[in-house]
Amino acid sequence: MNRTTKRRRDRKHTPKVEMAGLYQRAIQDAFHKLDPRIAVRNPVMFLVWVGTVVTALVTLDPNLFGTVAAPPNPQRVLNGSITVILFFTVWFANFAEAVAEGRGKAQADSLRATRSDTMARKVLPDGSTQSLPSTALRRGEQVKVMAGEMVPADGEVVAGLASVDESAITGESAPVLKQPGTDIASSVTGGTRVISDELLIRVTADPGQGFIDRMIALVEGAERRKTPNEIALTVLLTVLTQVFLIVVATMLPLATYVKTPTTIAILISLLVALIPTTIGGLLSAIGIAGMDRVAQFNVIATSGRAVEACGDVNTLVLDKTGTITLGNRLAEEFIPVDGHGLGDLAQVALASSIFDETPEGRSIGQLAERLGATLEFNRATVEGVEFSARTRMSGIDLADGRQIRKGAVDAIKGFVRSRGGHLTPELDTAYEKVSKLGGTPLAVCQDGEVYGVIYLKDRVKPGIKERFDQLRRMGVRTIMLTGDNRITAAVIAQEAGVDDFIAEATPEDKIEVIRREQSQGKLVAMTGDGTNDAPALAQANVGLAMNSGTQAAKEAANMVDLDSDPTKLIDLVTIGKQLLITRGALTTFSIANDIAKYFAIIPTIFSAAGIGALNVMGLKSPQSAILSALIYNALIIPTLIPLALKGVQFRPLTADQLLRRNILIYGLGGVMAPFLAIKLIDWVIPIP
Amino acid sequence: MLQGWIQIALTLLIILLLTPPLGGYMARVFSGSETRLDRLFIPLEQLIYRWGGMGSLVDMTGWQYIRAVLFSNLAMALLVFMVIMFQGLLPLNPTGLGSPTWDTALHTVISFVTNTDQQHYAGETTYSYLSQGLGLGFLFFTSAATGMAVAIAFIRGLTGRPLGNFYGDWTLAITRILLPISLVGAVILVAAGVPETLAAPVVVPTLEDATVQQAIALGPVAHFEIIKMLGENGGGFFASNSAHPFENPNGLTNLLQIVAMMAIPTALIYTYGIFANNRRQAWLIYAMVFGIYLGCIGVAAIAEYQGNPAVNALLGGPHPNLEGKEVRFGWAQSVLYAVTTTGTMCGAVNAMHDSFMPLGGAVLLTNLFLQIVWGGQGTGTAYLFAYLILAVFVTGLMVGRTPEFLGRKIEQREVVLTSLLILLVHPIAILIPAAVTLAFSEQLAGTSNPGFHGLSQVIYEYASAAANNGSGFEGLADSQPAPTALWWNLSTSVSLLAGRYIPMIALVLLADGMSRKPPVPMTAGTLRTDTGLFIGVTAGVILIMGALTFFPVLALGPIAEAFQIGGGL
Amino acid sequence: MVNPLPLVQSVPSPGEAAAPLWRRLYRRKGPPSLFLLLCLNLIIAPAVQGATGPQLLRTQAYALGILGLVTILLSGYLFVVMFQPERF
Repeated sequence: MNRTTKRRRDRKHTPKVEMAGLYQRAIQDAFHKLDPRIAVRNPVMFLVWVGTVVTALVTLDPNLFGTVAAPPNPQRVLNGSITVILFFTVWFANFAEAVAEGRGKAQADSLRATRSDTMARKVLPDGSTQSLPSTALRRGEQVKVMAGEMVPADGEVVAGLASVDESAITGESAPVLKQPGTDIASSVTGGTRVISDELLIRVTADPGQGFIDRMIALVEGAERRKTPNEIALTVLLTVLTQVFLIVVATMLPLATYVKTPTTIAILISLLVALIPTTIGGLLSAIGIAGMDRVAQFNVIATSGRAVEACGDVNTLVLDKTGTITLGNRLAEEFIPVDGHGLGDLAQVALASSIFDETPEGRSIGQLAERLGATLEFNRATVEGVEFSARTRMSGIDLADGRQIRKGAVDAIKGFVRSRGGHLTPELDTAYEKVSKLGGTPLAVCQDGEVYGVIYLKDRVKPGIKERFDQLRRMGVRTIMLTGDNRITAAVIAQEAGVDDFIAEATPEDKIEVIRREQSQGKLVAMTGDGTNDAPALAQANVGLAMNSGTQAAKEAANMVDLDSDPTKLIDLVTIGKQLLITRGALTTFSIANDIAKYFAIIPTIFSAAGIGALNVMGLKSPQSAILSALIYNALIIPTLIPLALKGVQFRPLTADQLLRRNILIYGLGGVMAPFLAIKLIDWVIPIP
Repeated sequence: MLQGWIQIALTLLIILLLTPPLGGYMARVFSGSETRLDRLFIPLEQLIYRWGGMGSLVDMTGWQYIRAVLFSNLAMALLVFMVIMFQGLLPLNPTGLGSPTWDTALHTVISFVTNTDQQHYAGETTYSYLSQGLGLGFLFFTSAATGMAVAIAFIRGLTGRPLGNFYGDWTLAITRILLPISLVGAVILVAAGVPETLAAPVVVPTLEDATVQQAIALGPVAHFEIIKMLGENGGGFFASNSAHPFENPNGLTNLLQIVAMMAIPTALIYTYGIFANNRRQAWLIYAMVFGIYLGCIGVAAIAEYQGNPAVNALLGGPHPNLEGKEVRFGWAQSVLYAVTTTGTMCGAVNAMHDSFMPLGGAVLLTNLFLQIVWGGQGTGTAYLFAYLILAVFVTGLMVGRTPEFLGRKIEQREVVLTSLLILLVHPIAILIPAAVTLAFSEQLAGTSNPGFHGLSQVIYEYASAAANNGSGFEGLADSQPAPTALWWNLSTSVSLLAGRYIPMIALVLLADGMSRKPPVPMTAGTLRTDTGLFIGVTAGVILIMGALTFFPVLALGPIAEAFQIGGGL
Repeated sequence: MVNPLPLVQSVPSPGEAAAPLWRRLYRRKGPPSLFLLLCLNLIIAPAVQGATGPQLLRTQAYALGILGLVTILLSGYLFVVMFQPERF
């Protein structure tokens, strides 16, 4: 657990994001956003904007809308102060958005830096090559990339074998081998560098349409579409604004009727204090920051909607290998059967694995050597048989015609039968024994004779059980998919603490399980990398493809993990929830603030009506009360910018616990905080 | 003092005990289960369906339901308008009353068809027995049944069922609930001394001076009275409503009237619990509303019990405020009645609300603003759930999921409809006309008291109209032939219609949309809406969003008045 | 070697789709509707003056009338946001 978090934390800072000058740029942008054509997009702040203009007018002429009883100069000072505070309220909101966008832009710039335009070598139909800028490449065209060159666009390897340095986007320094045909290693991302050899690549994305480009557009925020939940919240805030507009506008004749006249500037102040400026000013910053957090995790999301959906996920469908268990299984024990000795089995096992370069194969060889096995033949004289998904076994053919095989127990049984050997129940006993330990049993045979079973031990990732426990507390179910047999799967599932598992799973099972969950109204998230996974990724509500996976998988998914770490799906659930919680918390806080603002402003501005006793905060004077409430109202926006950008700290608790906690902090806190803050400001400001 | 509190407590206990049986019965009626009245009423209902050409009652879609509500209400309004305008030519008119002015008739019809029963007239001198008994009495049943049908459709939609058939529910509401209870209640009222006669007024010499003749108005009051209360109508047969000794002669009738007002709004919450199969939630909501209700009674009762400081100074000691109250009911029964009638949108009065202490008046106004302290016939319960949905949306995000209510996601459409429904209609229908009226107070208002109390009177009138309550802070010159009557009749008509039909349309659309959403399964990550915590949060949302909107007008009206007369707090 | 075109430019932005709306409103409907508003104010301002009595100067009545109209426009704008939030 510790190691993984640490690694993830390190990765968060790669690629490096240039933050210098962020605030200077944000300060300028905040002024640009005062343009009414931009301001009109945020209904709450637009009202404050219009209010600022009107208070500016009554600063110039306090008697513009009616002769004021007070002498014009103090009135002018008050109106001027109100104007300045309102201006800053709007500006702070703009600033919050600009900072969020700026951080996104910085993130985008660092992503974009990987895409510095290069020259590409386009392969023409006649086989010759033509040099042209990478931006001129189109989907479907083929390019040749030589050692030392940048890959000009996202694509799929058609021919060649080369190692590619992907550190620019993944931060992983070890180069990756790319070759055509294989599921995992055939896709390349624009901006990575070929280190050795050369590749022929078919371009799969038009310029500006690659994953990175989409992410750039998303984190920059400017071209961000509002997510469904954000739209619903905007509606609520607009209705509240509308309500208070009516309340305040009708107050002018009402107050005049009861002979406690008030001024337009004061009514505008009341309006601004009551409408939900806090959340209205921070709403878009929260959304942009949410996208930005996803980007910092080195995950590319193709839409904000997908990030939001992460918070709603009910079921995670996870592959066992690589997500729940460490990718490589190691040989733990040899179990000889049918009267063979341990030494014999080790001997055969070693022989079967000499060409097996997988970690499993190497570990079998090592274990066999530890047990004293030696090669009794010349490597050069034998022929290796590679593992294939169809035969599910591998091995060697000796020069003398003996065939040694190791593989899935079923496959070996078939092999033995075809060689005329006979099978004993001892094999099944060993098979079951290994399965019950949660291991993968591999049978070893020589021609028709079974020698025994190798126990490959699966290692559950450290800390994964705790994470699943957290998910369960948040109401997220986990389903493990594995090609293992039922018994093995059950043991691993038990050990990892998943809620359900599907053994001997095929790619079709993946879609099946997703459909089944969705038919119960659940939102499903899954990870995948192979072409086989593409339909399931498309079917899932949140599909996270591995960057190392095929183009088909990446295109079907709505998110791509540049680090190819399937465990990140769990982090994404947290990010999605955090985004929603932050929005909810600041909305509750903003609305709860109204109580205090009411009690600060109403009694003082209508003190002529004799309701001064309602001034429970004991504010000095009507002027001081209004200015204090407005200053609080303005300052709370920059105060909460860090929270909006970082997000409310997420804790894996049940809904009830979360509600209790957040209501206490943001609801009750939202009621109390402004009482204290307004009183404090009233005490500090030098107004009689 | 103690006696008064005991009266209040006993009345509330009766209502509490009545809730489960009545709520359960209503759930059985509207879910089509067997009830004991089946044998009696099924033939009658079949007859009604056949005559109405309704045939088989198919489930309606949202817009079909809305059309059914609007057209049926329009048709009834036209019918009653005709009856009223031609009452001079029609029978059952012993006092020979002519037609009222068109605006009075229009306002009356709109007011009664919207279950409001705001009266800008004196019943005994304006409308004939036919107009009252058959015209308005008819609307007593149908307007109440409309509200109930919409509430049932709303509950059905919320719990994922089809909305049902408006005409079917409407008929059932009348034949199975309103009619049987009214029959029993009317008999008890007659036994307790309420007149039920078609005879003309009795003319008698007065006790003080035998040469002076006084006409004592009579009429078919008892049956009118019970449905007036049970259906949250509130339109009095006589001008002084339930303060009149022939409408509400004694303690027994007063108790019966309070229980009748409360019966259906309280029971509907329980009915919801059965439909949603979550009685725990229903009781929690019930407890929340009961808590707000008790708080309202407490504030108003203390204000009335302490009395008017100015009067107390003259009398040389503390006395309850009895101005505008019937001595046979006293302060406690009057307060309980007033809080109940404004809370349940009944609008019948047994005391002058105008003469309540400012804080008592503020409580009554708050009831009108909130509309959920039990709330109107059917609509109140629906508003309650709209508030719940709003609370889910505001706070539900804080558990990190798209908010859900009863397993259905609250999205843009729900937010638009809910917030329109409970946040926007009221300020528009109350504050805007009130502002216009007070801006041109000399030409339009005709208030009996200027200043803070005048503001309260005007606000109350529009709040009563928009909330479909019907009671009044009397003292406005809103009856013909006053010059301001035309303005009052027309402007309140707009508030009446806006306060009734916009929310109803929104409710039906909301329920329709919710019923079509795929349900999301409950998990540990789902916000539970049946916990004390969440219901407490809802109470907070109701107070902040529902009540604070009107805090400025309360401050400039009753609260300022309370400070003005000193010691009112 | 260096292409001056920024890569993201070819991405069709949702923001651009909304922009013409404002430009339209701003360019074509702007001046005539402003004029109409001022005309409307010719009716409203005397009413405002009538409501408040002689203590209000004529210019103040006109200013108040315009303010009232601006408020109504803002309210209308908020209704548009309410029912079509995705346009903003």
